[in-house]
Amino acid sequence: MKYDTIIIGGGLSGLTAGIKLAEKGKKVAIVSLGQSALHFSSGSLGLLGQVGDKEVSSPLEAMKELDENHPYRRIGIDCVAALAKEVKPMFAAAGMSLDGDETVNRYRLTPFGICKPSWLTFSDFITFDKNEPSKIKKCIIINFKGYLDFYPDFIADGLGRMGVESVQATVSVDVVERLRKSSSEMRAASIARLLRGDVIDALAAEINRVADDADADTVLIPAVVGFDSEKPLAMLREKVLRPVYCVATTPMSVCGTRAQLLLRRRFEQLGGIYLLGDNVASGKFASDGRIKSVMTTNLGDDEMEADTFILATGGLFSRGIVADPHKVYEPVFGLDVRAPEDREQWYERDFFAKQPYMSFGVSVDEDFHPLRSGKAVGNLYAVGAVIGGYDALKEGSGAGVALLTALYVANMIK
Amino acid sequence: MNKKGYPKSYDVIIIGAGATGAGTARDCAMRGLSTLLVERFDFTAGATGRNHGLLHSGARYAVTDGESASECIKENMILRRIAAHCVEETGGLFVTLPEDDLDYQKLFIESCQKAGIDAKALDPAEAIAMEPAVNKDIIGAVTVPDGAVDPFRLTTANVIDARRHGADVLTYHEVVGLKMSNGRVTGVEVQDRSTGDIIAIESRLVINAGGIWGHGIAAKAGIRINMFPAKGALLIFGHRVNNVVINRCRKPADADILVPGDTISLIGTTSSRVPYDSVDNMDVTQEEVDVLLREGIKIAPSLAYTRILRAYAGVRPLIASDNDPSGRSISRGIVCLDHATRDGVEGFITISGGKLMTYRLMAQWATDLACKKLGVDAVCLTAEKPLPGSDGAKDRKQTAKSHIIELSTDQKAALGRHGSLAEEIKFGDDIDDSLVCECEQVSVGEIKYAIDKLHVNNLVNLRRRTRLGMGTCQGGICACRASAIMAKRFGNVAALGDLRSFVNERWKGMRPVGWGQTLVEADFAAWIYEGVGGLDAGDLKSTKNDALK
Amino acid sequence: MEYQLKNISRDNFEQCIKCTVCTVYCPVLAVNPDYPGPKQAGPDGERYRLKNPEFYDMALKYCLNCKRCEVACPSNVKIGDIIQRARLKYDKKPVKLRDRILAETDVMGTLATTAAPIANFMLKLPVVKSAMHSVIGVDRHRTFPRYSGRTFESWFRKQADAQETFKRKVAYFHGCYVNYNNPDLGRDFVKVMNAVGYGVRLLEKERCCGVAKIANRLIDRARHDAEINMKSIRHAVIDEEIPVLGTSSTCMFTMRDEYPHLLGVDNAEVRDDMLLATVFLCRLIDQGQVKLVFRKDYKKRIAYHTPCHMQKLGWGIYSTKLLRSIPGVDFVMLESQCCGIAGTYGFKKENYATSQAIGRDLFESIREAKVDFVATDCETCKWQIEMSAGASVLNPISVIAEALDVEATVKANQK
Repeated sequence: MKYDTIIIGGGLSGLTAGIKLAEKGKKVAIVSLGQSALHFSSGSLGLLGQVGDKEVSSPLEAMKELDENHPYRRIGIDCVAALAKEVKPMFAAAGMSLDGDETVNRYRLTPFGICKPSWLTFSDFITFDKNEPSKIKKCIIINFKGYLDFYPDFIADGLGRMGVESVQATVSVDVVERLRKSSSEMRAASIARLLRGDVIDALAAEINRVADDADADTVLIPAVVGFDSEKPLAMLREKVLRPVYCVATTPMSVCGTRAQLLLRRRFEQLGGIYLLGDNVASGKFASDGRIKSVMTTNLGDDEMEADTFILATGGLFSRGIVADPHKVYEPVFGLDVRAPEDREQWYERDFFAKQPYMSFGVSVDEDFHPLRSGKAVGNLYAVGAVIGGYDALKEGSGAGVALLTALYVANMIK
Repeated sequence: MNKKGYPKSYDVIIIGAGATGAGTARDCAMRGLSTLLVERFDFTAGATGRNHGLLHSGARYAVTDGESASECIKENMILRRIAAHCVEETGGLFVTLPEDDLDYQKLFIESCQKAGIDAKALDPAEAIAMEPAVNKDIIGAVTVPDGAVDPFRLTTANVIDARRHGADVLTYHEVVGLKMSNGRVTGVEVQDRSTGDIIAIESRLVINAGGIWGHGIAAKAGIRINMFPAKGALLIFGHRVNNVVINRCRKPADADILVPGDTISLIGTTSSRVPYDSVDNMDVTQEEVDVLLREGIKIAPSLAYTRILRAYAGVRPLIASDNDPSGRSISRGIVCLDHATRDGVEGFITISGGKLMTYRLMAQWATDLACKKLGVDAVCLTAEKPLPGSDGAKDRKQTAKSHIIELSTDQKAALGRHGSLAEEIKFGDDIDDSLVCECEQVSVGEIKYAIDKLHVNNLVNLRRRTRLGMGTCQGGICACRASAIMAKRFGNVAALGDLRSFVNERWKGMRPVGWGQTLVEADFAAWIYEGVGGLDAGDLKSTKNDALK
Repeated sequence: MEYQLKNISRDNFEQCIKCTVCTVYCPVLAVNPDYPGPKQAGPDGERYRLKNPEFYDMALKYCLNCKRCEVACPSNVKIGDIIQRARLKYDKKPVKLRDRILAETDVMGTLATTAAPIANFMLKLPVVKSAMHSVIGVDRHRTFPRYSGRTFESWFRKQADAQETFKRKVAYFHGCYVNYNNPDLGRDFVKVMNAVGYGVRLLEKERCCGVAKIANRLIDRARHDAEINMKSIRHAVIDEEIPVLGTSSTCMFTMRDEYPHLLGVDNAEVRDDMLLATVFLCRLIDQGQVKLVFRKDYKKRIAYHTPCHMQKLGWGIYSTKLLRSIPGVDFVMLESQCCGIAGTYGFKKENYATSQAIGRDLFESIREAKVDFVATDCETCKWQIEMSAGASVLNPISVIAEALDVEATVKANQK
């Protein structure tokens, strides 16, 4: 089959590039080996939260301090600023609303009650202005009875350190209660799939009851509302008498799952082809070093041809790069990956230190063409976490790089 | 009474809560001595928690050390009776590879028989049928009564029983000094590691069961014991590769034992002398990982591609005989020193050497000596009386069988871990039944039980009592859940700090084998704990939240 | 060191990094809390079963074998295979009479076809349904597929000589459903293949693909049938050098993947030549080797439903591409989700409620789509959707047959 562009990897970066190209009328196929790391979203998309040891307030300003090979510097800071504005409309078109902007970071509240800088946050979530005390006087942190991936004590502690008083309560709703019949399956996504229609009414009534008793002005709940649309949260907000905000849970991430489903839906509505659960096993190169076609496990010898290819396969977690005891490699095309030969240099002793392996990825040129044996592959682009040379975790730049490199590359493809 | 609520004076204070210390505390308490067991960290924090978990038949020592071998087989049979819930009766094989000398097998079987070990030659084909994971090229095989023993459970059961017999237990209390008077040890000074407070406790007798750290403890009484730390590294594979212990039938060497233990298999060990000052922090090197794999693959080829969860190393306390300070003639046998006769210091005993298998016998020797010194006439019953968890052990397995369909997986797992003590775990309430650790099937109820009853101060303790975080994800999903339960007892900031330490402790073992899915697992955990959760290397008490106050 | 370059374990079970994504996409988990979910039933449970088979959990029978967990897994773990293999290995309970009856699609088909009018009449009678519900445990709400009075094979015998006159040929694995219940689909297949210049042969011997026997743990019988099928397929592909095509995604999936994975029946040398008819056609069209010409007056609004096994095969693009290529078709793509029936699963009374709850959203979206009919590549999805969403369902090959301008197509392909 022949396409204009084939994107390998169907997470945030691949879908963003896919949507942009499909909007331009391109015939695009995405091949995705399983579901993406978007399912572990914190609820916020980070642009740049930290450079070196310094916390970042103004991401665009702070980008000047980044290494010139950093993806943002390759895009150019002005261009980053312009592209960053495209993100909210893209999510809106897919049915999701985001708060925040690229000039100044806000704080999100993590499940452990810690504040982390954030760029755009799904509007379910509570965020705080960096320079202003919170207006909340007393909030009630509500958990579902028996749900283990939400941490009211840690959150209360975190709020306390911000001078926000809080109380805690648990609620239960019949259908959600049934989940615990299985000792392991009271998970965020399982709850989210049940929260619709009448169940929302019942939940709202419960929330109102406990919030009344506590005399709280704001309600915090685990981010388990709205599996494949924002509607259930809107319904809940309509029926709960106080402002309701979510705080992220540990996996699964419901808002991340929702983003995956809705971005994919948007891509398919634009005519894109999304092949889930298929693996690009190899590529065929023409004599000029360009890629002619790729072969997948499911399609067998039916080669997928395209003019351009985008590698959006992600980092280690998504198997975009793979480590064996001796080397780190890119499994689809055998692209150049920079990693020390001595394995001991891949790690730091402190788990929470900057881990060298976090920056492993493919080497790219200034136009995001990956290198293969030192030479740029002309019709291949790399976007997102598969790119090496930056530490998305420490910088808090994972989503930002995924989105902006994808948008940048999609713009380059004529 | 001191502020911990313990009497100020005991008959015996035992230093070190490894298997030997815990066993000695049990024995002393059972013989009616008023007993205190004091440990600077947690039970099994030293060599007890860092070995093979092999229920030695003694066959390994039969050729070189007949005495150790016969000690082993006797203790082996005793543990099957008294510690049934800690033991898996897997059986063992000693296999001869094409590169090994088959003649050794004959000597091996003879030596085993001499030591009272039931060793029988087996056709290689039969051995392969018995344990399909074994190398198909073996040219000889011998069955022996090896098994697996869980050192964490074993030690905990000894502590529980010591307490049931009136002993007191202090963990996270480090002996910082020995009280001396007129050339006699009269007690200990211990520092509470959480508060820094120093408490003096008197006793008629102090027993040093500090393993390799016993060297330093003895030094506090001005006594020198020549200890030679021998490091042994091991690898943990992600699941059961074998169900029968596989040994290599040759003179003991590196990486020639593969032991199935609970949900995993373990290959080990290496053996290398290390400087004494490194014993508190044992890292497994790339070379050790290489040796373990290279040799391990020879006995079980599938190790070449089985995921490795982690690597760890323990330190054996080898003691040189007193007339040989050079350390050339080192004994692996039990060393029980009465410092009154040896060094002229009264009131002080050191029990060391030996091995996990002979912990009970070591405890018996030490307690026999203690009784003699204190003039107490009481017989040792530790070989007859089953440990808590194994009382009623006979019908336990039958009970489990007859209920097997009604029991949930986590109940079955807990029954395996705690034996008859599992009755104390709350089951049947859907909240307590919920799984915290999904890989190892640890429920909320089991965690609460461990926190309430099993001396749990932190997540690492909890792991040792329950297997939480010992499975495939190495705590990625469960450590935060457990941390939230711990926070109810220990407070939030402490719990998050502890969570960070726990994740770091897991990383220490993953790092030497940080490739493939093990590195992916670490990467995933990093994104959850730091990316989503915001836990980083910074000070937890002054997180950015304060800026918003 | 040459070792540890890859972790290889059966079904990749130790590739699992416990990310829990599979649990998000399990259709059963969402509606039946008695099911422990793919992570616990699959890789987590497997570690315990390796330790001691007593850890086998009977609740694994609630798995639909839809493989959506495998499709979702970012680490390529064959979760569904782990679960099914555990059922086959550890569930030692005797197979129920009801399950044996449901699984023997071949035998039942032969019996029922001979007496089709009576069988169809009987299967509709409330008293019969009620008896089946309470005595053998087939849910009373189920509508049984109608049996045809004449098998596809007996119809085909009369066409066989004419088919041999075509220069190019394909072999057709029709499956039990076409043979006993819906010979029309088989006739549509022959019509379409003939129009593009291909003659059709049947396999030397065809047995049921075995999907129902595997699901009901009749493993020896399934393997026996599989070996007969593979022998015939090898003969067609290797000796006669013609591909083997099918019109059921489930049959094709079972023969391509379940044979080697669950039955240990090797198919490596012929696997690439076992294809759905839509895949074969679509590829030929792409390569410019054949052309389809459609009737100008054909105007339909059609929704496509992706069966679970079609999703696993990754072949949805072919069927949908063909349907979209019909000029008069107003195409609606339904979101890929399980309809809930999963072959014989939904026929069992203990699964009926689960089955219907799983399909609820799909039925709703079909009703909302206001289409003339639904197209799908699986016959059991067809039964479920027809019964539960009140829409009629056609195989894409039947849609093509209906929309095809046969004369023009024949002409376009004569070269």
